[in-house]
Amino acid sequence: MVWDWSYAFDILPEIASALSVTISATVVGFILALVLGLIWTLLIRSTNKIVHHVANGIVRFIRNTPLLVQLYFIFYVFPSIGIALDPFTAGVIGLGVHYSTYLSEVFRSGIESVGPGQWEVATALNFTKRKTWTRIILPQAIPPVIPVIGNYFITMFKETPLLSAITLVEILQTAQNIGASTFRYTEPLTIVGVLFLVLSYPASLLIRRLELKIAERY
Amino acid sequence: MAEPIVKYNKVTKYFDDLQVLDEIDFEIQPGEKVALIGPSGSGKTTFARLLMMLEEITDGTIEVEGEYLWHEKDDKGNLKPASSEHQRKVRSNIGMVFQHFHLFPHMTVLQNIIEAPVTVQGRDKKEATKAGKDMLDKVGLLDKADAYPAQLSGGQKQRVAIARALVMQPKVLIFDEPTSALDPELVGEVLEVIKSIADEGEASMLLITHEMDFAKEVADRIAFFDGGKIVEDGPPSDILYNPQSERLKDFLERFMNTQ
Amino acid sequence: MTFWEIIVSMLGQGLFTTIVTTILAAILALVLGFAGGLMRLSNNRFVRFIVAIYVEVFRGTSLLVQLFWIYFVLPMFGITMSALTAAVLAIGLNYGAYTSEVVRSGIQSVDKGQTEASIALNFTPAQRMRRIIIPQAFIIMLPNLGNQLIELFKSTSLVALITLTDLTYQANVLNASTLQTTEIYTALLVLYFLIAWPLTKGIQILERKLTEGRM
Ligand SMILES: Nc1ncnc2c1ncn2[C@@H]1O[C@H](COP(=O)(O)OP(=O)(O)OP(=O)(O)O)[C@@H](O)[C@H]1O
Ligand SMILES: [Mg+2]
Repeated sequence: MVWDWSYAFDILPEIASALSVTISATVVGFILALVLGLIWTLLIRSTNKIVHHVANGIVRFIRNTPLLVQLYFIFYVFPSIGIALDPFTAGVIGLGVHYSTYLSEVFRSGIESVGPGQWEVATALNFTKRKTWTRIILPQAIPPVIPVIGNYFITMFKETPLLSAITLVEILQTAQNIGASTFRYTEPLTIVGVLFLVLSYPASLLIRRLELKIAERY
Repeated sequence: MAEPIVKYNKVTKYFDDLQVLDEIDFEIQPGEKVALIGPSGSGKTTFARLLMMLEEITDGTIEVEGEYLWHEKDDKGNLKPASSEHQRKVRSNIGMVFQHFHLFPHMTVLQNIIEAPVTVQGRDKKEATKAGKDMLDKVGLLDKADAYPAQLSGGQKQRVAIARALVMQPKVLIFDEPTSALDPELVGEVLEVIKSIADEGEASMLLITHEMDFAKEVADRIAFFDGGKIVEDGPPSDILYNPQSERLKDFLERFMNTQ
Repeated sequence: MTFWEIIVSMLGQGLFTTIVTTILAAILALVLGFAGGLMRLSNNRFVRFIVAIYVEVFRGTSLLVQLFWIYFVLPMFGITMSALTAAVLAIGLNYGAYTSEVVRSGIQSVDKGQTEASIALNFTPAQRMRRIIIPQAFIIMLPNLGNQLIELFKSTSLVALITLTDLTYQANVLNASTLQTTEIYTALLVLYFLIAWPLTKGIQILERKLTEGRM
């Protein structure tokens, strides 16, 4: 038989329980990506030419190399300079650093959508640089790009199976382990696919709704 | 005469190769209301934006209350570019109302007004709120305190912007064509507000306008700009009814014809 | 091995496989994307529904899961294929789903007046699409298509996980035999960058050339 329902139901709990690893990697990685992304954006906007070029170069390099290879690099090369990381930490750093470059681009576009008048009026009202950012610019730059940020969250969630390549036991690795011990891959791999679909599709619908709401307001 | 509150010394401004201001000397006395008129592109906006530090000065100095705006004295008494602390300190005497209002769209009207007093001046929030409401009352918009800018008409927006600038208690207030982005029927309400501020205020005003009647009514002095220079500068009656230079005559004539 | 020798030994077979996979998968994705994008705009509800299912399934599940499914599960249904075929199929199907959305929104963002003008000039619907709408939509889509090509190229590194001997796979093999981990993975990152970066730049130049005076 090609598909065995009772087998599928037997292994479902084990795979689903590995979801916690997948989800926490996504959440922690994404927080890192948000913070780092904002830092890149600010560094790239720096009036100091050296800071600007170095930050730009790093972001460009990260964006133009594959996440999988970056994960290998963090997991296998870092120990040789004395930083040995467990798979979860390495994976989260990889995801966070990789996606920070995308989010930095999103923040940039959000910031550029705030007109020059807002900067001028902040000067006229004598705001400090820091207060101009935190009180005037970012509160206007971020809300319109929230849907895009949300989409990157989902994209990142769907990339977490790559972490299995550096031996993290998330849902794909769990499914493979089950497959290897029973020689049946159909049910475990299908379950993983369905789980991703069941979680990411409603999330993307939610974001589409949010997008319409935000488009209404701005 | 008292010490001027604003003093331009040989101020020159270039945008790349384009000279916009040519060694301008200019003074504003405390409490004085000065209107700037002149043809489009003559440099009025640039002249005012230098005082608000929105453009970089190319050459010359500006003093506010006897302190350099763009410069500081070093130990030997030589001028050097001002630190940002020094700039902010001197700049705190100046306020500005823009042609396109530039209200903060993510804040209510009241928040727009009290944001800077609280975060910039560190004033107590309760006190700032009370001052903000008084100011809103003055511009006739107390009932709009909780509205967002998008819900206001252009004239109302500009009145909020004026209240926002005033609550900072600037010693010099710049208006750059405050009514030229407004529909004609909304101009009156804004001019009225500016007039009432001028009448009661100790603050000096630098008012760029194309509304000659209004300039005459409000200003103590009118300066006529042309080609990056101040060509004539004097009491409104002299400037408007007894122009000396050909260029001002031309300008006024053309202006009357288009009215 | 020196750094240089490492690069050279990865270049041979690995680079070739990476590039072939990229090109074939990109072609498949483009074909599926245009077909899907146009079908998504069809008047036939059933056609639209089928495409919607395709798009949501391939966007909603993970590329690596799809790759494994095609390579490890399809044989259970009697469909066996080489690692290269599986790789091209998985990547092509996955990116095709994203591309179809780019195509759909590109076509939809062409001014409605263009359609009306073509109707007024008595074009057939097919002529209208081919001669008027798609040429304009294509220019709108270009930046997105370019980005997707870069992403697709990077994603080919995943094929190493189904034992296709691409750059990443070669690096892993080399790592196992020489243990020069730092040099190998640094070289690998640099190699990917040296392909992706000129590609990014090239697409930007193409974009500028094509849009010059048109937008
Ligand atoms: N940021 C800038 N870069 C380059 N040129 C500028 C810039 N701002 C102004 N200019 C130029 O400087 C000159 C003076 O402009 P300015 O805006 O000061 O004139 P204005 O007297 O305020 O004119 P208007 O009555 O039209 O507002 C114009 O030729 C203008 O094109
Ligand atoms: Mg002007």
